[in-house]
Amino acid sequence: MTAALTITNYGLDYATAAGAVAVLRDISLEIAPGEVLGLVGESGSGKSSLAWALMRHLPANAREVSGALRLGDVDLQALGPKQLSTLRGRRIGMVFQDPSTALNPTLTIGRQITEALMRHRELNARAARDLAVELLGHVDLRNPAAILRRYPHEISGGEKQRVIIATAFGCRPDVILFDEPTTALDVITGARIIELFARLRAETGVAALYISHDLGMMTRVADRVAVIRHGRVVEQAKAFEIFRRPQHDYTRSLIAAVPRPERRLVHDRPGEAVLLEARGIDVHYGRAGLFHAAPPPATKAVDIDIRAGEIVGLVGESGSGKSSVARALTGLARFDGAIRFDGRTLHGAGDMSPAYRRDVQIVFQHPDSSLNPRHRIGEILSRPLKLYGGDVASVPRLLEQVRLPASYATRWPHQLSGGEKQRVAIARAFAARPRLVICDEITAPLDVSVQAQIIALLLRLRAETGAAYLFITHDLNLIRQIAHRIVVMRQGQLVDSRAVDAFGAEDVHPYTSELMAASPVPVS
Amino acid sequence: MSLAWLLRRLLLMVYTVVIVSVLVFAITQALPADAAQTLLGENASPEALAAVRTRLGLDDPVWLQFAHWVTRAATGNFGVSMRTGLPVAPEMLTALSRSLLLAASALVVTLVIAVPLGIFAALRQGRAADTMTSIIAYLGVSLPEFVTATALALLLTDILPWLPATGYVSPLEDSGLALRHLALPILTVSVILIAHVMRMMRSETLDVLQSDYVRAARLKGLPERTVLVRHVMRNALLPVITIVALDVGYLLGGIIVIEEIFAIPGIGRALMIAITTRDLPSIQAGAMIMAVTYAITNTLADVVYALLDRRIRYD
Repeated sequence: MTAALTITNYGLDYATAAGAVAVLRDISLEIAPGEVLGLVGESGSGKSSLAWALMRHLPANAREVSGALRLGDVDLQALGPKQLSTLRGRRIGMVFQDPSTALNPTLTIGRQITEALMRHRELNARAARDLAVELLGHVDLRNPAAILRRYPHEISGGEKQRVIIATAFGCRPDVILFDEPTTALDVITGARIIELFARLRAETGVAALYISHDLGMMTRVADRVAVIRHGRVVEQAKAFEIFRRPQHDYTRSLIAAVPRPERRLVHDRPGEAVLLEARGIDVHYGRAGLFHAAPPPATKAVDIDIRAGEIVGLVGESGSGKSSVARALTGLARFDGAIRFDGRTLHGAGDMSPAYRRDVQIVFQHPDSSLNPRHRIGEILSRPLKLYGGDVASVPRLLEQVRLPASYATRWPHQLSGGEKQRVAIARAFAARPRLVICDEITAPLDVSVQAQIIALLLRLRAETGAAYLFITHDLNLIRQIAHRIVVMRQGQLVDSRAVDAFGAEDVHPYTSELMAASPVPVS
Repeated sequence: MSLAWLLRRLLLMVYTVVIVSVLVFAITQALPADAAQTLLGENASPEALAAVRTRLGLDDPVWLQFAHWVTRAATGNFGVSMRTGLPVAPEMLTALSRSLLLAASALVVTLVIAVPLGIFAALRQGRAADTMTSIIAYLGVSLPEFVTATALALLLTDILPWLPATGYVSPLEDSGLALRHLALPILTVSVILIAHVMRMMRSETLDVLQSDYVRAARLKGLPERTVLVRHVMRNALLPVITIVALDVGYLLGGIIVIEEIFAIPGIGRALMIAITTRDLPSIQAGAMIMAVTYAITNTLADVVYALLDRRIRYD
């Protein structure tokens, strides 16, 4: 039987000012009809470039240096623009990483589904609409007819991804490429999308190439897994075997980086003294205007205690108010309630003394936007040193502390990788010699292996300085490795708070057990 | 777009107009012009001046004068011209209609040329066609109006004698001749505006072409024409609408040079004459009419924007 998708000895370069950069080399992969092949690799490994090559949507500077791409018996590289546009969507579909940007904000959901159905299923507008209602119902969206009339901003991220999946499956393609379809979603929503994918593939028998950086998740979605590194496939195996018997060192390091709650990385106990005591924190955004009332508070009466040297995990899905708590504690958001720190009680950002602001530092999720692109690394690090009376000459020491070469002081942020930028952001927080560092989803944009390095760095810095962490994340497996205590937030309220070893207890909040169910550990 | 939003937006427009009316009245009060003196001439006797002042209410407190003026103005009565003795409002409205005809035609010509040109340049980004359109567009915007106007007039009336050089004919009398008279000023204004709108359209199109949803539309297998018209143009046009609404302000007040050169009796020219002859009622009427037209245009632009982009709520 012909394979659904065949990649033979494929090589790809990007032409740059500095010469050709090899992106993919000697890639040979085959996907049988109805099979799901997982492609795992870190950012920059070339896995997305392979997807763009298959969709024939390569950037202008791409040069295909070798090999062949075949969809069934069609030679993809030989297709002209016209043949390509009849083949895309119809025979090879794609589901994108970020559903919030993949839908056109000015067109209704209905329009964006039916335009594909009308083109590829040769339906008239009415029949396409009826089919769209049926398809949306089939991906478990309630009231599909109403959703068709909505605009993308009127539905949630998970619903958007369901719409995109319904569109892709609706044209009945032979192969669908999934490019990290759950990365931009929170844990529970992502888990539901994976369930949906499993059901639809069983029903339709579609073949799929499923791209992800998360090897743990692959064991649940793919039949076979290919591991790609620096543009080369280093290992291919059955999904259930790769965890048990990894052959390549790189695969082993990827497996080691997958967070597992039973593998604790912190063994000490926190001090008894309470460092920060927050009571009844209500965070407000916006004020009442001439024509409208103030929006409801983003958090409601949140109480949090953090002891000296303690690691507190703060988990919850997006929109639960986790980041709002961080913004209140650092004086970035207006709040009601009280914060007790170091024997003083603060009732608002105006009460925060320079000493408090020095003691409580924050590291943000996206180093790209938290590091000023017009400042060199040395400048970025010397700012807090000057502000808090440190010695500017200690910049090299700070860089060394986060395992970056001292020569990086003269570099610009854009010359660094994502992980390196996050190290700089961490160094900037520690330049103030804080007693509490708030980490707001700081590993979410990073690969699993880089995440493991950043966590190791944070734990070492804590051992050296005795700082406490409030670690905000949606990754329950990760936080159970490092936190002493975990608090769970939902819809602005704190619903659960317990020591990490009491997490398996029976009296956990129903929402906490739902979160745990959505974060299964890898099959092994 | 909700009804409440629409009402709020209209209320905002009314606010704007009220504030403008205060400003217009205050400015005409501050002008070094005595209405009685202007009426009676240099050699009027003090008694006659005093009599006229009483009749016009010029001795009343300022707030009372404003109250009188604003209640009359609200019903479209701006008084009579000190120069001609005729009611000023109809005269100014006629002038406005001529300017609006010029402005609207120039806007249509500009959009018809600039929008496709902007998309075209974006699709050919960095290539010769893109560079050429940019150079020509910049040439149009960087030359002063009177240079463009003179050059076009020389070319189209003298070297190639196709069009009449100056003058205005009402389209109600002879639409063909009216169009021939309007062609040169429309062309001149368009040359200036096209660069503006086209550059904006080009950069917006480039942004939208980079977006994930355009990529998604292409990878759904939609034909390129559908992608461009339905997914690219619609989104790229949004910021352009705001820019065009601002350009209307320029078209109404700023094309006085063009009205002068081509002898079009429009609102800019009427206002200029009113100012040089210190004809206070005409100044007030002209300024108010322009402000109201501008406020209406911007409200319309906001409404169109909100219809095209449903994310807009302003709440």
